[in-house]
This record gives sequence, C-alpha cells and structure tokens, in this order.
Amino acid sequence: MKNQELDQNKEYKYGFTTDIENVKAPKGLSEETIKFISKIKKEPKWMLDWRLKAYNRLKVSKEPNWQKPKYPKIDYQDLYYYSAPKSMKDKPKSLDEVDPKLIETYNKLGIPLNEQKKLSGVAVDAVFDSVSVATTFKGELTKKGIIFCPISEAIQKHPDLVKKYLGSVIPISDHYFATLNSAVFTDGSFVYIPPNTRCPMELSTYFRINAAETGQFERTLIIADKGSYVSYLEGCTAPMRDENQLHAANVELIALDDAEIKYSTVQNWYPGDKDGVGGIYNFVTKRGACRGKNSKISWTQVETGSAITWKYPSCILQGDNSVGEFYSIAITNNHQKADTGTKMIHLGKNTKSKIISKGISAGKADNTYRGLVDIGRKALNSRNYTQCDSLLMGNKCGAHTVPYIKNKNSSSTIEHEATTSKINEDQLFYCNQRGLNQEEAVSLIVNGFCKDVLQQLPMEFAVEAQKLVGISLEGSVG
Amino acid sequence: MLNFKIDTNKIDKIGKFTKEEKDFRIKNLNYFNDIGFPNKRNEDWKFSDLKEIVSKNFNKLNLKFEKSEKPKIDFIKDFEHNYIVIINGELVSSDFKYEEKNKIELQTFINDDYSDKNEKNPMINLNHALSDKGYFLEVKENYKFKKILVIYYLFTGDLDENILNSKNKIKIGKNSELHCLEFVVNDSKRNFFNNVYEDIILDDSAILKNICLQNSKSLGYFHKYSKNKLSSQSNLTSFIFPTGLKFYKLDLEINLEGERSECNLQSASFLNNNEHQEVKTRVNHLFPNCKSYQKVKNVLTADSKGVYQGKIFVKDVAQKTDAYQLSKAILLSDGSEFDSKPELEIYADDVKCSHGSTSGSLDKDSVYYLMTRGLSKKESTKLLVNGFLNEVADSIKSESIKNFIKIKLDNQLLDEYKKH
Repeated sequence: MKNQELDQNKEYKYGFTTDIENVKAPKGLSEETIKFISKIKKEPKWMLDWRLKAYNRLKVSKEPNWQKPKYPKIDYQDLYYYSAPKSMKDKPKSLDEVDPKLIETYNKLGIPLNEQKKLSGVAVDAVFDSVSVATTFKGELTKKGIIFCPISEAIQKHPDLVKKYLGSVIPISDHYFATLNSAVFTDGSFVYIPPNTRCPMELSTYFRINAAETGQFERTLIIADKGSYVSYLEGCTAPMRDENQLHAANVELIALDDAEIKYSTVQNWYPGDKDGVGGIYNFVTKRGACRGKNSKISWTQVETGSAITWKYPSCILQGDNSVGEFYSIAITNNHQKADTGTKMIHLGKNTKSKIISKGISAGKADNTYRGLVDIGRKALNSRNYTQCDSLLMGNKCGAHTVPYIKNKNSSSTIEHEATTSKINEDQLFYCNQRGLNQEEAVSLIVNGFCKDVLQQLPMEFAVEAQKLVGISLEGSVG
Repeated sequence: MLNFKIDTNKIDKIGKFTKEEKDFRIKNLNYFNDIGFPNKRNEDWKFSDLKEIVSKNFNKLNLKFEKSEKPKIDFIKDFEHNYIVIINGELVSSDFKYEEKNKIELQTFINDDYSDKNEKNPMINLNHALSDKGYFLEVKENYKFKKILVIYYLFTGDLDENILNSKNKIKIGKNSELHCLEFVVNDSKRNFFNNVYEDIILDDSAILKNICLQNSKSLGYFHKYSKNKLSSQSNLTSFIFPTGLKFYKLDLEINLEGERSECNLQSASFLNNNEHQEVKTRVNHLFPNCKSYQKVKNVLTADSKGVYQGKIFVKDVAQKTDAYQLSKAILLSDGSEFDSKPELEIYADDVKCSHGSTSGSLDKDSVYYLMTRGLSKKESTKLLVNGFLNEVADSIKSESIKNFIKIKLDNQLLDEYKKH
C-alpha cells in the first residue's frame, strides 16, 4: 500500500489511516462487481435489477466536462467499488461487538459513537469505507416510529419505502456520476420520519474513506412525511494519501405536505498537500424535492476539504408555498478547486427560495459559484433572493460567479447580487491594533464574513465549523 | 429542420480573391456548414436558440448579389451632423462638412487579416466566409470631431429572405474624439438577416461615444459581433437602444488593453410581440486601474424574450480593477421571459467587482400611488415604464440628441399603448 502515516501532521488532523483487514470487491467496474456488492449486501432481486439498469445506462453515458476545475481522467477500472472492514462481515448486534479499532478511529475523529455520551444528544450513523458501522440511539428513535438505519438494512426491512422513493429525485439516468452511484452504491443512511413527528435529536452520519484505491459511493435517502421535521448532519474525513480518491455520493430528500428537512454538511475530506498532490474528488449529487404544500428544504454546507469539490445541492419546489434555502461556505486553499452552488427550480405557486453563498479562496485555489434560479410559467408569485460574496486572498487565486437566472412570469421577483473583494485592510489594521495577530485577525474577519451561513448550522457543529474555517486558512496571509 | 448550408462555390460569386483569402473564406464556410446556426447546446447561445428561430421564420436564406435602388433618405433635422450612408451594409455616401477633411479617412472595408484565429462562433465564421461589404473609418491623431457623426444604416424594401454579411472597422487615433449615432432605418417588410462584424480600436487617450438607435419597428433579424480594443486612458461609452427588431443579438467583446482605460455600456429596451433580444458582453480587464460599467434595462411585454449574458474577466495583473454590472428587467405579461447570466471570473485580489440582477413586475405600491392621483392603470404603467427606461437616455449629455432619442423611444412605447 502506498499509504503514508502522517498523523503527526497537524494541518490535516484526520489524515491517519487505520490498519484493519478489509474485504474488497474485485477491482474494476463490471457486472460482476455489481453482483458482488448486491450479494454481499443480501439484496433482493429488484435492487440488483435496478443497479444493473443503471450500469447499462452508464455504459452509454459520457462524463461531463463543462465544469471549471478540470481533473485527470479517472480510470474506473482501477478502483475498488466495495471495501469493508473484515470484522463487519457478520454484522455486530451492538456496539460492544464492533471492532475496538473502529471505535478508536471514530473516537479519534471525535464522533460520539458510544451511547454513554448521551450528553451530545446526537444520533449517529457512521459509514467506514463502504459499510455502515453502527447506528446509535436506535431505541429512542424507534419509539417515535422514526426509521434511521443504513440504507442496506432499509432495502431489506422497508422495501416499500425504498422502492417508492429511491431514484425519484435523482433518476438513474440523471448524469454520469449519479448513474455510477446508482449502479455501485454501497451504503449510506436511510431516514423516514412518520407524519406529524418532530425528530427529537439531530441525526448525523459520519463518512470516512480509509482503504486506498477505493471510491466511496454512498446513498442517502431522507423522507419527511406530512407535518414532520428533521435536522440531519453529515461529516466527512479521509486519510492523507498521495493519490486522488473519488467520492461520488447521491443524496435524495423528499418533503411532503408541511414537512421540513434541514440538511447540514461539514465536508472536510483530505484536500491534498501544499503542492496539490492527492486529495479527494468530491463529485456529489444532492437534490431535494419539496413535493408537498408548505414544505421546506434547507441546505447548509461548509466545504473546506477535497481537492476538487463539484456539487450543487438543489431544490425542486413542486408544492405550492414551498420554500428552498441554500447556505454555503466554500473555502479553498493551496491547489484546491471548488465548483459549487445550487439550483432552485420553482414549479409551484408562491414558492420562495433564498441563496446565500460565501466563497473564500487563498493560495492557488479556484472557487466558483454556479447556480440556477428558474421560475416557471405557472410558479406565480414566486420569490428568489440570491447573494454571492467572494473573498480573495493573494493574487494567485481565482473567484468566479456564474449565475443562471430565468424568470418566466410577471408576478415573480428575482434578485441577485454578488461582490468580489479582498479583506479590508482597515479591518485588519483595527484587529492588529487590538492585539490580535495576523492569523487571528483573518480568522475573525472571515468568520464574520461567513456569519450568515454559520448561524444556520446546528449549535454543536457551528463551533466545529468556526474552528475549521480558521484552520483551513492557516498560512494563507502574511 | 431546414438546413441552411451554403455552397462553397457561392464565394466565387462574391468576387475575385487571392488564394489566401479564398482559403480563409472556404475554411470558415466549412466550419459554418458543419455546425449550422448555433443552438442552445452552445453555451454562448444557451438562451437564444438561433437555429430554432431561423428555421421557424425563414424558408430559405439567399445571398444578395444585385444592387438595390437607392432609397430616399430622411436626414435628421433636429441637430447638425456629419453623416455616412450605408445601404444594405454597403458604404454609399458621406459628408463631413463640419470637419477637417485631412483628419478623417473613410473607405470601403478591405479585409487583410486572414490569420487563423480558429474562431468557434458560427456567426463569425459565416461573416468571415461571406462578408462583401462594410466601411473603414479612421480618425487621425489629435483631432476632436466638432459635430456628431450619424451613420445611417438603411435597409431597402426589396430584401426578402436574404442574408447580409458586412464588416466595419473604426479606428480612433491618439487623443482624438468621436461621437456617433448609429441610426437604423429599415424599409423592408419582409424577413432578412443582417450579420455584422465590427472592429473598434481606440488608441491612447482616445474617446468614442456611441449611440445605437432603431428608427421604427421592423422584421429584421440582426446579429452583431463587436470587438473593441481600448488602449491606455482611452474611453468608450456606448448607449444601446436596440428595440424594434424581431431578433437582435449584440455580442460585445471589450478588451481593456491599457492602464486606466474605461468603458461604460448602457442599454434600455422595450420588447413586444414575439421579439427576442440578447445583449451579451465580455469585458476583459487585462491591465491595472481600469474601469468598466454596464447597465442593462429591459421591459418585456406580450410574449417577448430578453436575455442578458455579461461576463467580467479580470486577469491576475489587473489590480485595482473597478467593474460593475447591473441588469434590471420588468415583466409586464406572463408570456414574457427574461433570462440573465451575469458572470464574474476574477484572478486578481485587489479589485472591486460586483453585479446585480433583478427581474420582476412593476412595483405595485408605485402604481397604486399614481392611481390615487387620478391616473388610470395604463397611464401609471406607461409613466413608470418611461421613467425606468429614460434613466439611460438621461445620462446622454447633449440636450438635442437626448431629446431626439427620447421622442423616438416614446413613440415606440406609444405604439404599444395605442393598441390596448
């Protein structure tokens, strides 16, 4: 293995690897690989057929190349599509049976897997490489009728729900990476909130890529039934390696009448080293459908990691009076590249959307906001407000804004504004004068710049995210 | 779908060319024939699917070889001016009675640049392949025009499913200044396509003020690609009132190639029945301390469609750039559509770049206010629309020209309100 043990390196403190024996699917993408994954997951036939349908579609579809960050061609035959810790082969019944090494890994990451840490009050589903390791707080959630489990378990136990909703927001023929995910997805979380239920705690999934030469393809499906509410958080880390790894996840959200889903992401995949070697390619498809009346979907993302981030969490506002929100901070440093934004598709009447995007680039990084606001003919009285601000540090980085704005009826209003600037020298001077050093000052100012978005994060993670913002920019000024 | 392929032997009909020129034309024509009119798969034409528009409205497209009869010209009497007359793209006559003749050079355009630019815009390819008309105007160093220059673009009544290709070039010498009004008068009651390629060069400290105006509504389909080169401390101001054509796409490339150069672009249009109009800009900030300002205003009614695609590019050396883009649109009917894509691509950090884009209906409170003062709803709307669009015309300095333009714009609005 080409792994480098680099855990002493404080720049990326999640860069360690865990030596665990893995079960892997044969290398390469083929019908056999898909059958292998399906078999090891004990999937019913309809699921395998679904995967194969996606695989056939993949064979004829082409990789997109319109995005700003270009990347070397990925050899899809040189990847492992399934990798699982050996000890997970027979699923542990409780946390006591989980490999202590895994628990140790998650402890290092600060994930409160142990139910004793009830104080944190967060239910966690942890995904290690390709399989879900453990889900905490199951009992309490089950009492309320909430289903929160690995998607592989949901396929077996709740096939009706999965069949009904899987692929209904991101169809298998959507685009190359979504199709790839549909064919080979290995695990992920499944959430179902029954009608008129308010999920009593934050649900959370932690993703970690451990093994080398693997791609991670997880699939998340969240369904909020009528009148329910759920807040969901996703976090990601990966070891430091000098090769690029692919992460192509699909996330589907469905909100029915009066339901609300809040989806927050703190993405801190390994960004590659100072010279841009290694790092994760984070090519993720996230899409939510506000199917019901008065439903609401809110995306919040803090993107600090990954060599290349390429994703557009979107909302399809079908139900009348539905609301879509998108709050984003994307920080790129060194050679990182981000092309991210959102799509707000207004179809129902009186639909509202709000987009707040903050991009920060430093070093030799490139940061692009790309978004679409499309108000259809029948989406009367709709409203959109978009604000994109970019901050540049140094003259070797780039900040770009590419909004597409379409308005097709006269009762709707769209507002869009964007600014690009550097850190105000007066502000820096003021902070320095009060005794803050350059780095503290920058961290403070950047946190202020991002305040609108940080406020949207659940409390526990807002603190973490704030620190992350500071760390990501270390060494970029001065 | 109809194919508008053009046979390469048509090039021989245009005129006799050197081998170099002929190869250049054939190469470009082949490229056009491969692609055809651009459709929405082409990112630059995403919101204006020209292939669809042309095949919907044209049965055929013929080149025009025979000369048309010279129409009677209604010269503008509102203010004193020099003029150039262009008929169907061809330079016909000129008069510079207020100026020093030796400071001005005007001739039929002769292309001598066959460098292989590998152009990937089918409309430019088409122009490179077939252009046979146009003018070249040069203002020598240290000369300021005393009166405005009006360029009359006349289109004759015999145009019918023709395609015209012309190339123009304007060069303003060091420390010189030119104000001009491009005035389009169209007599044709039929469909035709006019495809123009324009090259504008401003030497150091040169000033060009340019106003573009249509006399009245017509069935023209216009595409104009304008390439502007601004040297240090030069200044380009452009006011565009493009209303009145079935299809119009103005594609502006502005290269700020010298320090402290500035450009200011403003446009106002009122779009009606089935009209489709796009203003596309690309402002390249290549040197430090340059300024660019863009303001695009649209009012849309019936089933018209308006598009604004603007891009500001700031190169890494172009520090202290000040760039601004603003697009505002008012939609008066549910059949109308406005799309915009205001883009920023920035590689320098010490810059001030921003853009804003809004689209929506008229402010209901304002309409209500006017109605409480005794105006009818129609009158209130007209007053507000007028105020919205006139803001652009108001920033023209010369009183007589400003009034002339306002009257023309007002007439266009009036036509609309008479109908209801």
